[in-house]
Parts: sequence; C-alpha cells; structure tokens
Amino acid sequence: MIEFRGVTKRFPDGTVAVDRLDLSVDAGKITVFVGPSGCGKTTSLRMVNRMIEPSDGVITVDGRDVMATDAAELRRGMGYVIQHAGLFPHRTIRDNVATVPLLLGWTKARARKRAAELMELVGLTPEMARRYPSQLSGGQQQRVGVARALAADPPILLMDEPFSAVDPVVREGLQEELLRLQAELGKTIVFVTHDIDEAIKLGDRVAVFGSGGHLAQYDEPGTLLARPANDFVDGFVGRDRGYRGLGFLPADGLPLGDLPTVAAGATSAQARVAADRGWVLVVDADRRPLGWLPVNGSLPAGDRPLGAGDLVPGESLYDVASGSLRGALDAALSSPSGLGVAVDADGVVIGSVAATDVLDALATAREHEAVA
Amino acid sequence: MIWGWIPANADRILALTLEHLRLSLIPVVAGLLLAVPFGWLANRYRPARAVLIPAAGVLYTIPSLALFVVLPGILGTQILSEVNIVVALTLYTVALLVRIVADALAAVPGTVVASATAMGYRPARRFFDVELPLAVPVLVAGLRVATASTVNLVTVGALIGVGGLGELFTEGFQLNFPTEIVTGVTLVVLLTLVGDALLLGLSRASTPWSRVGGRS
Repeated sequence: MIEFRGVTKRFPDGTVAVDRLDLSVDAGKITVFVGPSGCGKTTSLRMVNRMIEPSDGVITVDGRDVMATDAAELRRGMGYVIQHAGLFPHRTIRDNVATVPLLLGWTKARARKRAAELMELVGLTPEMARRYPSQLSGGQQQRVGVARALAADPPILLMDEPFSAVDPVVREGLQEELLRLQAELGKTIVFVTHDIDEAIKLGDRVAVFGSGGHLAQYDEPGTLLARPANDFVDGFVGRDRGYRGLGFLPADGLPLGDLPTVAAGATSAQARVAADRGWVLVVDADRRPLGWLPVNGSLPAGDRPLGAGDLVPGESLYDVASGSLRGALDAALSSPSGLGVAVDADGVVIGSVAATDVLDALATAREHEAVA
Repeated sequence: MIWGWIPANADRILALTLEHLRLSLIPVVAGLLLAVPFGWLANRYRPARAVLIPAAGVLYTIPSLALFVVLPGILGTQILSEVNIVVALTLYTVALLVRIVADALAAVPGTVVASATAMGYRPARRFFDVELPLAVPVLVAGLRVATASTVNLVTVGALIGVGGLGELFTEGFQLNFPTEIVTGVTLVVLLTLVGDALLLGLSRASTPWSRVGGRS
C-alpha cells in the first residue's frame, strides 16, 4: 500500500504543485490520478519513486518512508511506464525489457529468458526481440514499455500518461490489455491521465485533482459519476455522467421477460404467429440472435422462407454475465422492438429486458446505496 | 621524383611513420579521455559550461608553434622533448572535443535519461550505459575532425625537431629535394584517411541502432 500523508511539493519558483495531499493507494488495485494539466497528478506520482522529492509530508510504501530508502533500490522495486515509452533507442527490444533484471544483477541469460516471457505476456512476437525501438509502432513501443516495467515482477507499477500519445483505437486496445494483465497479476498500479474516460474505465478508485494541487474527490468511479463532490468534479466528469454511471451499477435482480423468437429459415406465416406487438427475433440453430423482423411491414407473403435481407440488424446485446444496468438499458434503447435482447456468456438468447425495468432496478439500487 | 630514394630510405621512413603515429594517437586518446569528463561537467553545470566552453575556444586559437615553444617553460621539459608535442596536441584535442561532448550529451533525449533514472540506474552507470552510447554518433564526428587535425599538426613539430613525417618536409626544403617532401605529404594524407576510415568503421559497428529504418 502507498500512503501520502500531508504531502506538499513547492518548486523553487514558489509554485505549489501538490498541496497537503492525504491519500491511500490500495494494494492490488488500479488507482487513477486524473485532472487538468498543472493539477499536480504527475508530480504526486513521481514523488512515489523519488523522481521528485516532496517539500513536506511523508510518502510510505508498505509502511516505509520512501525518503529513507535508497533511491535507486526503491526505483528497481517499482515498474515505471511513461508517455512515448521512453525506451532506450540503442538497445534491442529484448535488452530494453531486460533492463531492471540486469540492474538487479541477474545473469544475461536469465534476464533475456525473462524478457522473452514478458514480451509474450504483453503480446509482442518473438521476432521483435532483436529489433530496435525505432522499428516499432507507437503502440508496440508502449507494450515494450509495459513489459520493461514488469520485468523484475515489482509489486508496484507507476504509469505516467502511458497511453496518451497513441491514437484512440490503439489506446483502447492497450487499455483492455492492461485490464487483462491486471486481472492476471494483481499489481498495485498508480495510473496518471488527463482523460476522465480512461480514468473511469481503468480505475478501481479515481483521485480527481483540482487546480493548485488539491485533491477534489477520491472515490470509486461509479460514485464519482453518481455523486460528484463539487462543481469542479461535476464539470470535469463531463456530460452524460448519469447514463455513464449506470455502467457501475450491477444488474442483478433485473427481471428478464419473454422474447418472441423464431428460427432462421421459418416462413412468414410462422413468424406472424410467433410475433408479439409486430416484432419477432430471428435466431440461429444455437439460439443466437440474428436480427429483428417486423411482421407488419413488407413481410413477404405466403410461405417464402425468411432471409437475412428481411431482418433489422445491429442492436446492442445485453450480456447478463458481465452485465451492468448501462448494458441492459442500451440493449433496450437500441432495439427496434423496444425489447432488449439478453444473452448469456455464449451469446445464446435467454430473455428480454425492458427499459422501464432497468429504471426500476436503478431506483432499487439507489435505495440500497442510501441504506448502505 | 627520384623513386629510388624511397626504398633506399625505407627504414627511416618507417621509423618516422611510427613516430608520427605515436605522436598522433596518444594526444587523440588522451584528449578524448579528458574531454569526456570536462564535457560532462559543461553539460551538467551551467557555471562549468560558462568557463569551460570559452576557455576551450581560446585555447584552440593559440598557434601550435607558439604552444610548442612555450610549453617547455611551463612543463620544465627539454625543448626537444616529445612530451611538448604530445601535451600541446592533447590540449587541442580537448579544446575541440569539450564542446562537442557537451552538445552530444545535451542532445540525448531527456525522456530516455529520466526513464533510465526511474528504472533504478545510478548516475555513473547511467552515464556509461545510456548517455555515452547515445552520444557516440555526434562524438565520433567530432573525433574524426580532431584526429585529422592532430595528424596534420604533428608535422609542425618538425620545426622544433620532433615532427614525425614532418621532418621529411623540413629536410626536403633545406636540401631542395621535392621527392622527400612529396613522400612525406603523401604519407600524412594516407595516415589521415586511414584514421578517419577506422573511426568511421568503429562508429558504425558500435551504433547499429542509429541506422535501422525508423517508422515514427
């Protein structure tokens, strides 16, 4: 666990970057520091591994004051990932990844073996081992940065805006990858970003920093969206926070209704019989949804088998296994029939979800929170 | 050209070539070894830069012959001692390289140095593992200039009696014997070219990373 107690950073020119920060970073969780530029989030991160030293207050890691620890030893026990990765241009990918093990005195053979394992872990192919950083794309370089930070298996990972210099598609992939890695490794991660969406997506807890180095709010992302502490946080969290907040409310207890379905290859007549309020869901042989069929409109007459061209495709599905109220509501809202399609982990249709039921479940969840 | 003169004097020419090599190599190596810490200082500390860089500039403007003549008085050496030449040429190499070392180190990306620090490098090892290797391409460019300049300046030493192949110039002039002068000039040019080629090869072998096709 990392703890900030009354930590202040004043730079020689008098600027106060961090002002009496009190904050505990939970072990094994992702804690995100987020805020506008100049809010002190990066300074706070860099004080953990003494890249910047506090003017006042104490930072402890597992109870030990970082200032009482040798700086280089301290840093070897913490992975560090920065924007643009900061790779060593004169070293191959393999040797970049092996940096900290070599500093710790591992043999070259052991360090390289470890590097190969890590490259695989972060999704880099073995033939990249002998390339140099300039031969890789930005996203690949960032993966190398993560692999290098993890090489000596440190319990703590410090990430300083690691994904902000790559394009949005690559960034999303890297975020998913980080969550996957974290599920596997359970590191104590401190992640700095200026992007509130990234903070909410990645953070188990999010610390919102305001201007002047004040901590404005420190909460789980769902709470941040549901109950911003003040106008600053409200403004920073941005629009649609009510809707985005639904993503953090569990959908257990949300009732599933019946769903009119018909197998692919059925005839128009069969579809009309199965339909409810003008719509029927066409499913394949494994009961996976193919699309909605409007039975009142231009449905072919007689017994012609239904084809893919007759279907209205593209609504979002509500996956009950990983479901949140947001997923359920979106499924209901995006469905042409007004009924959201609920599926299990295998994608098999198990029922329907109605927008009104989602809103009822929301009301229930709020009452629970109020009691708790 | 009297071609027969060359084989007849082969032993002496070889001896002078070796002397020339020695008088060039020692100052270049010593100069480089001295320039690196001074250049590091100049890059690291602003006041050091304010002193070292102008001092190096002034030093380089002193005429070589004047330095050769003045040094025995300062060092307490014999006027005809080889040490005078070696020290003078070392000073020129340092003067030329200090600024180049400082600039080469300053050109190492700050993010790379910061990430090395954050990985847990201590300053000394970081310097030799990260900063110096990244400065090599610029450093070698400077070293090539210093080498060419040193190999040529050695010949001036002939005027005070220690000049390697330069002695072929002075003697050739005194005897009005062009063959000897042409032989000396040719060998000096060859030495310069060989030295340059060696440095270039060394630099390319030690910096494979600087020539790979970049994507960014």
